Amino acid sequence: MSGLEQRLHELGRELAFPPEPDLVPRVLAGARGRPFPWRAAALAFAVVAVAVATAFAVPQARSAILRFFHVGGASVELVDTLPPAAERTQAGGLGRPRTLAEAERRVGFRILLPKVDHRPRRAYVIGSSVATVLLRSHGATVLLSEFESYGEEALKKLAVNKTVIEAVRVDGAHGLWLEGGPHTLSWIDRESGYRERPVLVRGNVLLWLHDGLTLRLEGRLSKAQALEIARRVR
Amino acid sequence: MDRPLDEAELVERARRGDLAAWETLVRRYQGIAFRTAYVLAGNAADAEEAAQDAFIKAHRALGRFRRGAALKPWLLRIVANEARNRRRSAARRERLTLRAAEGIARDAGLNRPGDAVPSPEAALLARESQGRLLAAVERLSEEHRDAVACRYLLELSEEETAAALGIRKGTVKSRLSRALDRLRESLEAEA
Repeated sequence: MSGLEQRLHELGRELAFPPEPDLVPRVLAGARGRPFPWRAAALAFAVVAVAVATAFAVPQARSAILRFFHVGGASVELVDTLPPAAERTQAGGLGRPRTLAEAERRVGFRILLPKVDHRPRRAYVIGSSVATVLLRSHGATVLLSEFESYGEEALKKLAVNKTVIEAVRVDGAHGLWLEGGPHTLSWIDRESGYRERPVLVRGNVLLWLHDGLTLRLEGRLSKAQALEIARRVR
Repeated sequence: MDRPLDEAELVERARRGDLAAWETLVRRYQGIAFRTAYVLAGNAADAEEAAQDAFIKAHRALGRFRRGAALKPWLLRIVANEARNRRRSAARRERLTLRAAEGIARDAGLNRPGDAVPSPEAALLARESQGRLLAAVERLSEEHRDAVACRYLLELSEEETAAALGIRKGTVKSRLSRALDRLRESLEAEA
């Protein structure tokens, strides 16, 4: 260890941190307030239309959950106010770009693509779970993200009340269409088990299931345009 | 006498709904969780809320915790994510400060009757030197400052630092190497 590293360690011991709060009472109240839902719900794939807000709300949560939906590995909670979230460019926060073959090896499944004029050559991968490609369609740049449905909160979206959330069908499979308001998006990584880094999304979004994958299409698209692209995904 | 439960047993019990086991784990890690959140969020109130929410979310996510893995890096990753979501801009962040000299000497076991104590001049020089080092740390870019704060100031391991910052261990090493270079340059320029 260098002299500078040694000095930094000593500096850490000399810092004036604020008094440490006792978190136990509030943490236990929070733990009691919300039954642990993961195991029982992990393999449920049905779209839940409406759930009572208080059943899902953590007492300390700053924003009440008004309604709750999920499709495959994604959950959508309608809330009265969005939490703080970073605004990103369309490809920002999607992980490292790789060739399609590299990305498929990383996530362990074949990346489904719609028949579009320009087949993407690169895919972005978050952790080892979520593959995303950028497409051009209907004059817009569109994000297509795919991940195995390894849990209903693998992808979590919070939307404000002015967002229209509508159940749709894509080739007979369940889906959700989100249109209108901004929403935040966060992922849970399969490898690390937990990852929440919300980003703010302003485009419309289609979520649907296909061959054990949850797919998410995001862009400035109408519902009809999004469904048309989704039906061409193979 | 009952033997104390090891961490894996506590996690397993907490996973099955034993809140007393979870309480033991929260007490064990709430200090480092709060300090990590404070360094990253830059505000005591936000750090407290971040650490609290992180423990609640971690409890909900225990079913996804890999059996046999170390709990601390996993917890710190959740804490750090919560803290970053509340992060203040550099201008609005509370600055890290040094403790009063008497407290440091007391904790270090100095100033006991009969002990040799540093001369007032030497103590003052050492304190000024550490003050300059702290100021140099605060001037680093955000990613370098976070790496230095986690690895050195909070004395996290490389694995824990990587987990807290959501990066690979190799990236931790390279960031720290560059950050140390910047610190040396900064201190030399002042000298």
